[in-house]
Amino acid sequence: MLHLLKIDLKKMTNYRTFWVICGLYFLTLGFTTASGMEILKWLASKGAEFGASININRVPLYHFPDIWQNLIWISGLFKIVLAVMVVISITNEYQYRTLRQNVIDGMSRWEFLQSKILTNVLLSLVSVTMILVIALFTGFIYTPEIEWNYFFVGSEFFIAYFIEVFSFLSFALMLGVLIKRSGLTIVMLMLASMIEAIIKINIFRSGVEDQIGWLKQFFPLESITNLVPLPFARYALQEIQDYVALSAVAIAIGWTVLFNYFAYLKLKKSDI
Amino acid sequence: METVLSTDKLTKHFGKLCAVNQLDLEVKRGQVFGMLGPNGSGKTTTLGMLMGVVNPSAGSFSWFGEPATHHTRKKIGAVLEHPIFYPYLSGQKNLELNALIKGADPANIAKVLEIVELTARKDDKYQTYSLGMKQRLAIASALVSDPIILILDEPTNGLDPMGIAEIREIIKRIAADGKTIILASHLLDEVQKVCTHFAVLKRGNLMHIGPVDDVGKGEEIVEVQAYHDDLSILLQEFVGSASIKKENGLFEVMMKEGYHAKDLNRFLFDKGIVASHLHTRQKSLEKQFLEILADHKV
Ligand SMILES: Nc1ncnc2c1ncn2[C@@H]1O[C@H](COP(=O)(O)OP(=O)(O)OP(=O)(O)O)[C@@H](O)[C@H]1O
Ligand SMILES: [Mg+2]
Repeated sequence: MLHLLKIDLKKMTNYRTFWVICGLYFLTLGFTTASGMEILKWLASKGAEFGASININRVPLYHFPDIWQNLIWISGLFKIVLAVMVVISITNEYQYRTLRQNVIDGMSRWEFLQSKILTNVLLSLVSVTMILVIALFTGFIYTPEIEWNYFFVGSEFFIAYFIEVFSFLSFALMLGVLIKRSGLTIVMLMLASMIEAIIKINIFRSGVEDQIGWLKQFFPLESITNLVPLPFARYALQEIQDYVALSAVAIAIGWTVLFNYFAYLKLKKSDI
Repeated sequence: METVLSTDKLTKHFGKLCAVNQLDLEVKRGQVFGMLGPNGSGKTTTLGMLMGVVNPSAGSFSWFGEPATHHTRKKIGAVLEHPIFYPYLSGQKNLELNALIKGADPANIAKVLEIVELTARKDDKYQTYSLGMKQRLAIASALVSDPIILILDEPTNGLDPMGIAEIREIIKRIAADGKTIILASHLLDEVQKVCTHFAVLKRGNLMHIGPVDDVGKGEEIVEVQAYHDDLSILLQEFVGSASIKKENGLFEVMMKEGYHAKDLNRFLFDKGIVASHLHTRQKSLEKQFLEILADHKV
């Protein structure tokens, strides 16, 4: 296992594009989540100039335990950058035909795919760790009084976040294996959510919505989004889902397994 | 002798096209096995199946008498068609990656770079290499695991004459170590010089398989030139001549069994003619190759 990860990392860590994209990802992700409060304060001060004063400090965005779900939901928006990196990594192997040489050199196709999957696991873990650290730091800074009883409420969102990132990277890897060309794959990756939305609109017309609307959660990209529900409506005094639904986890894991399995099937069947 | 590779009715279809048709091959330990055939005859496809990158449509093959797995491939050094490397990695880093995949000792890298004379450029990116350097790196990567079998698909493609001669020396040296080599090539001269056995493919069909030594056996051709107007008529009178051909200003006499150049020389001398050129030639692989391809109409 570690051996396979080492092989893929050796390919990546000497690749400038990898560092540039990952650097951009972790920097923007880190800065956005870490400085969100300062950005909001700045926005509020701008707003005050126009006479719309909001006391941003009264909104517990960065207070334990709200902060877990808030930061994780925001972080989820950035995963597309990482997915583009994954697409480049896999489609390069087709473009340079190095997949062929890897197999000739003695990797099985499954081992090759495993090496890519393991890198996805690693990237997901690094994302989770980073957000965990940032949430702890900023939480301690901005929370006026920490109530330890509620401190860990919602920290299961980190597990959901890991599945969210890893599942999406698996989806990107599968697209790369199926399409093989980087440009087209990246376009498909960008359009995938929209395509899924269009399909859903066509299936769930107003008449049938009531009876089969519950089927929506089984769509692959929707299942990824459902892991971490949008939290901010709670500050407009609306009811939100502030926990991770087990059904969402199960469906997302199911799709993750399928994404990787489809990639495996395709890889196994094709001449390379 | 131990059988290293055997294929059983190995077949590959690409859609309607049959690239390899029911191929039965056997390669034994220590052989230098040449695979010949015109463009598109299925050499690379065959090697691709043997190396696990092309899925056979039918038939099977075994390495060392066992069905092949990816572990078997680690013991084989192979370059198919073009050198394939990560363009953004240096030659050294590429070989490190090959060694990592093959489970080879990284200490071999310096050695193989020395063999292919790339040591001075090892830290340059692969994409900056010339074609010949890429070919050399490919041969280095095939050697890096100290393999028992070497598979080379047109390894001298794009090399300069010196490079070709060097690769030939490398192949001979590796063969002298008792390693088995499978070599697909269009340079028949090369194959005749280094191979012990050869097979000829045509449109996916096996046309011939046998030792290279047999090629020259049986027939002898004598080239003659002399200052005489009716030389061709005279040569026909010679009892030992089977057929006569004029080529490049020389007469080529195909000798009958048991007759040699000295008999022809004596014959001419008795007629009062002195040959200005007399040379015995064995049949070249090239000739035989063309004959094999012409013989069978497939
Ligand atoms: N991936 C592929 N898809 C479709 N046809 C293919 C594919 N690969 C090879 N072929 C066809 O299979 C036949 C055999 O090709 P192959 O590359 O094995 O020939 P070759 O003997 O190596 O030729 P050359 O001497 O030119 O290298 C050719 O007709 C080729 O067009
Ligand atoms: Mg070929």
